[in-house]
Amino acid sequence: MVRTPDEISELLSRVAHRDVGAFEALYSATSAKLYGIILRILRRRDLADEIMQEVYVKIWDRAADFDASRASPITWLSTIARNRALDELRKRQPVSIEDTPEALDVASSDPHPLAALEQSQDVQRLMGCLDKLEPRRREIVMLAYLQGASREELSRKFGHPVATIKTWLHRSLAQLKECLSR
Amino acid sequence: MTPSAGTSPHDLDELAAEYVLGTLDREERTVVAARRLSEPNLDAAILAWETRLSPLADTVQHAEPPAALKSLILARVQQSTAAPVETTSRSLESGIVVSLTRRVAMWRTAALGASAIAASLAGVVAYRPLFAPPSSGNSYVAVLQKNAQSPAFLVTVDVEKRTFIVRTVAAAAQSGKSYELWLISEKLSGPKSLGVVGDAAFTGRATLTGYSPADIEAATYAVTLETQGGSPSGTPSGPVIYAGRLVQTRP
Repeated sequence: MVRTPDEISELLSRVAHRDVGAFEALYSATSAKLYGIILRILRRRDLADEIMQEVYVKIWDRAADFDASRASPITWLSTIARNRALDELRKRQPVSIEDTPEALDVASSDPHPLAALEQSQDVQRLMGCLDKLEPRRREIVMLAYLQGASREELSRKFGHPVATIKTWLHRSLAQLKECLSR
Repeated sequence: MTPSAGTSPHDLDELAAEYVLGTLDREERTVVAARRLSEPNLDAAILAWETRLSPLADTVQHAEPPAALKSLILARVQQSTAAPVETTSRSLESGIVVSLTRRVAMWRTAALGASAIAASLAGVVAYRPLFAPPSSGNSYVAVLQKNAQSPAFLVTVDVEKRTFIVRTVAAAAQSGKSYELWLISEKLSGPKSLGVVGDAAFTGRATLTGYSPADIEAATYAVTLETQGGSPSGTPSGPVIYAGRLVQTRP
């Protein structure tokens, strides 16, 4: 069931009061999205399943911390999922993206059809700004954000030293920030 | 750029951006996650970057999780509601001196080469099961460092007894200053001081008594440089210079 951000906020405030029914509704409304985010970063279903449990237990524990004036509920939820998945990824032995060829697809630059239909203004705006980056740098930002690519992986994939990748990242992020502030 | 440098607004924003993008390494992520809890400017920069980049997460293809996950999660959540985390302090009194002495002895042997420990810890971390069984009597260790090459302190924690020992590995004493150890947890309001790290190689304390085993285990441990004797205000006045999280020392 698709819920509006206001409905998600409302569910979160009920979860903060230990409302299990609201938690189930929140899970139904958001689990496919968060699982998608986690799976994209960890690329292994067994790991994604473990992290997914931790993420929702954390959402249950921390629902009272959600502050609608600081972040949208969707951003808040997906940040918890991304951070936990990234921490897990960094904790493990580095996995080369060459070892997982499917990771090389930057399918992310073509948002999936449903997302394109539902694309919010925010998505369109960010995509517009990403499109202004040089293609290689846009790909680097996407691989990092969506798949958790490390500087070292990006360095190997693009054949440039880590220091160069770092510089590109900083410039790309600065350019994005500037573009989004217009 | 190291995560412990970066205090100018520009550096801070760059650090926040890379933290949110996800390109920091493990140690850097831990340090930033610890710093944001005591640095409102960094926290605000991180939130702003989360908002800027989160539309990208909306483009990720949804994936249906296995149906069994929902009941597993609900069971864990209901269990946590049924058995609230124990918060009462436990008396330590006897046992602590013996326990600390034994552990100091253990660490004298174990902490011979800090880098060897750091290297072996990398293995521990990689192979630690995701859901370790409850840690009855197990000891944990956190390597507090700026990066993988420079472990500065080792913190061993006995979660059950709520005691810890700090081993100064490579942090040089600073005249007129003290290193202060902090426990940082999202569940607690702000960093909690665990006391000043002594000048001796080992400092053992029982200042974890007020915290639940779950909080002790999940917390980030961080060190700041303070005026001699520790921060007078009870909150960190200097930035976090070293930080780390606990890993189990044996399965």
